[in-house]
Amino acid sequence: MPMYTGGQVLDLETAVKDGILGGGGGGGVICDDVTTPNLGKLDLKKMIEQLDSIEVPSVFICPISLEPMQDPVTLCTGQTYERSNILKWLSLGHFTCPTTMQELWDDSLTPNSTLNHLIHTWFSQKYLAMKKRSQDVQGRSLELLEVLKTVKGQTRVNTLKELRKMVTTHESARKTVAENGGVSFVSSLLGPFTSHSVGSEAIAILVNLQLNSDSITNLLQPTKISLMVDVLNEGSLETKIDCVKLMGILFAASDIVPSLSLLVGVLRLVKDKRHPHGILAGLRLLKIISTQESLGNSIISIGGVPQLVEMLPHFNSESLELCLYVLKVLSSIPHGALALKNCSNLIPNLVKLLMKTSENCTKFALSILLEVCKLSPEESAATAVNAGLAAKLLLVIQSGCNPELKQLSSELLKLCSQNCRASIFISKCKLTRTLQ
Amino acid sequence: MLDTVVQNMGLLCCRQKRGNQATTEENDKAAEIERRIEQETKAEKHIQKLLLLGAGESGKSTIFKQIKLLFQTGFDERELQSYTSVIHANVYQTIKILHDGAKELALSEAGSSKYELSVDNKEIGDKLSEIGGRLDYPRLTEELVQDILKLWRDPAIQETYARGNELQVPDCADYFMENLQRLSEENYIPTKEDVLHARVRTTGVVEIQFSPVGENKKSGEVYRLYDVGGQRNERRKWIHLFDGVTAVIFCAAISEYDQTLFEDENKNRIMETKELFEWVLKQKCFEKTSFMLFLNKFDIFEKKVAKVPLNVCEWFKDYQPVSTGKQEVEHAYEFVKKKFEELYYQNVTCDHQDRVFKIYRTTALDQKLVKKTFKLVDETLRRRNLFEAGLL
Repeated sequence: MPMYTGGQVLDLETAVKDGILGGGGGGGVICDDVTTPNLGKLDLKKMIEQLDSIEVPSVFICPISLEPMQDPVTLCTGQTYERSNILKWLSLGHFTCPTTMQELWDDSLTPNSTLNHLIHTWFSQKYLAMKKRSQDVQGRSLELLEVLKTVKGQTRVNTLKELRKMVTTHESARKTVAENGGVSFVSSLLGPFTSHSVGSEAIAILVNLQLNSDSITNLLQPTKISLMVDVLNEGSLETKIDCVKLMGILFAASDIVPSLSLLVGVLRLVKDKRHPHGILAGLRLLKIISTQESLGNSIISIGGVPQLVEMLPHFNSESLELCLYVLKVLSSIPHGALALKNCSNLIPNLVKLLMKTSENCTKFALSILLEVCKLSPEESAATAVNAGLAAKLLLVIQSGCNPELKQLSSELLKLCSQNCRASIFISKCKLTRTLQ
Repeated sequence: MLDTVVQNMGLLCCRQKRGNQATTEENDKAAEIERRIEQETKAEKHIQKLLLLGAGESGKSTIFKQIKLLFQTGFDERELQSYTSVIHANVYQTIKILHDGAKELALSEAGSSKYELSVDNKEIGDKLSEIGGRLDYPRLTEELVQDILKLWRDPAIQETYARGNELQVPDCADYFMENLQRLSEENYIPTKEDVLHARVRTTGVVEIQFSPVGENKKSGEVYRLYDVGGQRNERRKWIHLFDGVTAVIFCAAISEYDQTLFEDENKNRIMETKELFEWVLKQKCFEKTSFMLFLNKFDIFEKKVAKVPLNVCEWFKDYQPVSTGKQEVEHAYEFVKKKFEELYYQNVTCDHQDRVFKIYRTTALDQKLVKKTFKLVDETLRRRNLFEAGLL
């Protein structure tokens, strides 16, 4: 049946078959609703939902809701809308055609069966293609998993690479692998003699899969963790991020003590100014393991504190909050506070950050400052005041922020005023009236 | 007169011409030599220098032998045979140490008769001790073998062996005593296993050049491995080898935590290894060198941990056992590994931040294990090269 669409004559089958309505890969299947029994049963609504990321041809879209039409009706002006939408329009008292603005001489709504048929066909085609692709993915993933059990060497590495690509792009692949013992099998590939190529691919796969507590316990074995640390230290940026993410999952579920090599590797990632993604991933892991008691001493022993303090001005806001959190935890242990105090640029960096980004950042920064100043009141207070702390503190107190912050600020203010000569203090405040 | 002058001048010119010809030849030769030197220097640059360091008896030479077996043509019959005298020497030395040790212990523990040899074995003991003290050892005859076995099986000797850590009993004692019959046969040719167990104190420096063949059969990496003596007096020779080293393979025998040095009976071996490792780490020439730490003799460590607690060594005094059996062995190993890791990072400065440092668990006598371990070392070094060339 010929149809006018933008001045071109086309028939139904051609339109769908040759993909004139857009979308290309229709899979060559010409769907005749009547003869293909399954399709009749396919609910259009469901299909539209499942294909929501696909680009739908504009002629299928209702001009009112901008959604695909499931029950298209045509007005006397010849414009087609979704039935429920145009009814709503008319019920609001409008008696015009929404797109042409013409007054309606006829209130009848004619079901546009041609368009309906076209929409159904097009969506069914896309849906079937998607299902097939998904099955292909599932089938292929299963195949790869089986192959992995038998091959070694470079073949193994290549198979792992392909599996990794599948798992990172397709949800169905992830499910298939997880449901077929993929997690435990890939975990078993990690050991003391695993080569870097195998290790990095295996880790990249595991980080995309759901890990239950048994898998986690299995992966927490010292030899496997050692391997992850080695891969972290030697790998590319993507590999480093994968390792750090996986270890984040594992460490969150246990109280294993992170090794020095791990911390050195994470710090190296965090210091790499060229790659903010890496920095963020590394800091996330640091935050997770910062609950560990011994972590503080470990970080200090590898000289991590000055490195983190030095990076403070270079972090974006999310990274900054994570780093400040970690430093705050460190400041609460005596060695940590000492190490922080020994960083000459700590106080100026922190003062600059107050009230700059988020409330949390300010809160953590204040806590750190408090701990450090408590350690050596005179010296630190002087440095802080010189860096402009007093004015900032007054700003915090006067602002509408969390009472916790105000509490911290007043404590700090007290400490500073007690340890600074009044005149200097007042002059640095620049708000003498407020003080008085 | 002018004639003469002209004639003489002519002669002079001729002589000079001949002189020039001579120097051109010399120049050619010199140029050739220069070119050769340049070529060889270029070739040398591609050769990666690996240094085996560690205290005495840490397993360096065994690793060296393993590499020879794995990546070179191994030992030919002549080389194997050359080890016969070494092995026999080991046997005599061992039994002498045990016999003399038993006597010492008997004296120091005058009350007990644990270390008193049975009457029949006393004579044998003295005879063997005398043989062991000679510079030249006699062939192992059937008679001698019987004597040695009788003595070895004497309860006093076994008791002494149990306290072998206080004496300088070599690790190969067990192995050779068990195989004694075979070692004494007429046509005995040492097996690879025997050669690996044989103990000779290395003196000076030994080197081999090899290329590890990967699965793809193409490698390109050429390694030159240097083995050195580990005892204190040998270490002054090490410094000559320290330049341009790609990687240091530092061997530490973790089973020695209850033993003292051969050259100083008052020094615990692990403490010596600890100090030596620190010293090596601080060397300026190793700023960019990769460090592979081989925690060796795991097989002996495994068995010892169950009987001798780690805390007997001062460095490990804060060790707390958590379980038993295999789990405990793993726990103990992780503890030791952590100690070495801490030691490494304590001796690292900002200049060393990028240096590769990896720890491997090894049993140098196990060829498969050494092969797997070396594969990993090779991979790490290759990746490191790519990284340094900016290709990673």
